[in-house]
Amino acid sequence: MRGLVPVLLALAVAVVLVPTSMPRSAGAAGEVTLNVYINGDTNILDLWSKSILPTFTKHYPQYRANMVGLMHGNGGQGVLDKLIAAKRAGRTTDVDLWETEPSMVEQGIPEGLWVKLSDKLVPNIAKVAAEKIAATGGYSAPYRGSSVIIGYNSAFVKNPPKTFDDLVAWIKANPGKFTYCDPNTGGSGQAFVSAAIYKFVNPDKFAGNAYDPKEETAWEPAWKLLHDLQPAVYNNGFHPNGNVAVLQLLGQQNIYVAPVWSDMGLDFYKRGLVPKTVKYEQITPPLFGGDSTVTLPSFSAHLEGALTLLNWLLTPEAQALVIRDVSGYPGVDWKYMPDSVRKQFADVAKPYAPLPNAKYLADIKRLWHDRVAAGQ
Amino acid sequence: MSDAALIPRPRRGVGLRQGALGLALVLPPLLVLAFLVAVPAVTAVIETLTPEGGGGLTFANYARVLAVRTLRADIAFTVGITLLSVAVVFALSYPLALYLRFSRGGAARVLGVLFVVPLFVPVVIASFAMITFLVNHGFVSTMLYQAGVRAFPRLVYNGTGIMLTQVWVNIPFAVLILGAGLQAIDDALIDGARDVGAGPVRTFLSIILPLNAVPTMIALTLLFIGVFGSFTIPYLVGGNAPAMLGVTMTNYLTQYLQRAEAVTIAVLAFVIASVVGAVYVASVSRRERGAM
Repeated sequence: MRGLVPVLLALAVAVVLVPTSMPRSAGAAGEVTLNVYINGDTNILDLWSKSILPTFTKHYPQYRANMVGLMHGNGGQGVLDKLIAAKRAGRTTDVDLWETEPSMVEQGIPEGLWVKLSDKLVPNIAKVAAEKIAATGGYSAPYRGSSVIIGYNSAFVKNPPKTFDDLVAWIKANPGKFTYCDPNTGGSGQAFVSAAIYKFVNPDKFAGNAYDPKEETAWEPAWKLLHDLQPAVYNNGFHPNGNVAVLQLLGQQNIYVAPVWSDMGLDFYKRGLVPKTVKYEQITPPLFGGDSTVTLPSFSAHLEGALTLLNWLLTPEAQALVIRDVSGYPGVDWKYMPDSVRKQFADVAKPYAPLPNAKYLADIKRLWHDRVAAGQ
Repeated sequence: MSDAALIPRPRRGVGLRQGALGLALVLPPLLVLAFLVAVPAVTAVIETLTPEGGGGLTFANYARVLAVRTLRADIAFTVGITLLSVAVVFALSYPLALYLRFSRGGAARVLGVLFVVPLFVPVVIASFAMITFLVNHGFVSTMLYQAGVRAFPRLVYNGTGIMLTQVWVNIPFAVLILGAGLQAIDDALIDGARDVGAGPVRTFLSIILPLNAVPTMIALTLLFIGVFGSFTIPYLVGGNAPAMLGVTMTNYLTQYLQRAEAVTIAVLAFVIASVVGAVYVASVSRRERGAM
C-alpha cells in the first residue's frame, strides 16, 4: 500500500498539470510526459519511481515520466483491454511502456500491439543475450531477472552441497535442518520440487507450450524421492507458507539450508534479516528462474520517448540501479557490468533452469500435495 | 404476500401502500440473496451434474473427486476438526455463560467485558497471535521449558492449532448466544425449583438446560457452520496436509486450475452444511411456534 499513495498522487498531479502545461512545454522545450505502466510489488514500484525514472529524466530533461503502478499485476487485464480497444479504433495510446507478464504480451501479439524490438530501434538490445529476446518473440526486453538459489548458513554447513544429489544427501544426513515452502505458496518451493522432477526428465519438454498429462507419469520417481525426504525435512516434514517464511526460518537458525529467490535472499542479507554467516550458491543442475520484461505498444503517442527510455534502461548505469535497489540480475549480459558487481554475484549468477509451463506447474502443485504432503 | 391476510382489515389504499412499502424494503436483500447466493449455488450444482460436452445427468465429477484419497482425508479432517472445535467451545462457553448470568459482583462484571475481546480482534491477527504464542520457540514452549518439560508437542501447523484458534475466536459468540437464552429464563422458575429442594445440578438439568435448548441448538449449528466453512484460520495455522475444505477448494481453483473439482468439493461441503442448517431451521421454527 505504501507504494500506492505516491502513484495516486502522481496520477492526480498529472491529471491537473497535463492540460495546462502541455501547450506551454510543447511550444518551449518540446517536453513530453511518458506514461510508464509497472506491474510489481512495492519494491519494484519504488525501483521505478525513486530510482529509474528520476535518473532517466535527469539525463533526458526533455522527458517527464509518470508511473502508473499495478500492484501485484492488478488491473493488468484492464490495460490490455484498453490497448486492444485503442488499436482497433485506430487511435494512439497513452501507455508508452509496460512491464507485465508474458501471458499479457502473448494475448496482444495477434492484435499487433507491440513494437518488434531490434538493435536498429534500440541499440542496447544488442547487449541482451539474443536467446532471451527470441524467447519473447522479440516483443519484450528483459531488464531484470532472478532465480531460485540455495541459501546456507556457513556457521553450520562447512561444505555446502554443490549438486542436487549432494543436497539430497545433506538433507538426509542432517534431519530437520532443511525445508522448502509449500509450492502453492511460493516459487522457491516450486523450484525445489521442479528440480527433483528435472532430475528424471528433460526440463525443456515441460517448459514450452505443449501440454499432455500423460507425460506426467515420468515424474513418479521424483514423488518417491520427495516423499522419502519428508521425515528429514524441518519439523518432520513441515513446509511453511511463502518464500518469506522460509527465509525467516533461515534467519532464526531453525534451519541451515533452503531454496530461496536470489533477489529476496540477497535483500534479506543486505538488511541484516539473516545472519552474516548465510551464504548463497547455485547448484548443478540449477534451480529455475526467470526474467521480468518490458514491452512497448507500437502505437503509443510518444514512441520515440519510449524507445529512448528502453535504450537507456539497458545501459550499465540503469542496470546497476536494478542491482542496487532490488538485488536483481541485470537484463544485459554480465560482461557489460562492472567487475565489483560481477564479483558480488559470482556464486549465484549462473544459468538457471526453465519454469514449467502454467498447466504443468498447476499439476506439479496438486500432485505434490497428493503424493508428498499427504504421503500417498 | 400471505401476510396481507394477517393485517386486520385495513382500508384498501393503506394496505396496498403498506404492502408496497414492505415489498420495497425486503426487495434489495431478496435480490442479493437470489442473484449472489441462490443462482450461483443452483448453477454450481447443475454444473457438477452435467457431463462434459453437456446433456444428461452424471455423477462422474463426484466419483472422480471422491476417488482421490487426499480429498476424502480432507473431508474427514474438516468434519472431525469442526466437531472437536464445537465441542470444546461449547464445553468452555456454557459454564462461562452460566457464571455471567447468575453471578453478581465485580469479578463477573470484569469477566463480562473481557470475554468479548476476541470478538473485536480480526481473525488474521488472532491467527498470527496464536502462531507466535504456540510455535516451537513461542510463549507456551518457553514456559514449559522453564518448568522442565523437554518434550514439546506440536501445537501449530496442524489440526491442534486450528482447533485452539477456532476455540479462542468463537467463545465470545457462543457465550453471547447462550447468555441471551439464559437471560430469558425467569428467575422465579429457578427460585421455585430451589424452594422445593433442588440442588444446583438438578436445577441445571431439569430447568435451565431444557429451557435453554433452542438457543443451545442455534449456537451449536451456527458454530458448526462457521468453523466448517472457515478459510483464514486453517490457511494460516493449519499444516500442509490434510487441509480443511476451505483451503482445499481455494487450492483446486487458483493453484491447480481445476475448476470442476473445486465446484464439486464446494457442493459436497454445501450438502454437509445444509444437514446442519436443517437442524438450525427446525430449532428456530420450534422457538417461533413456542412463542405463539
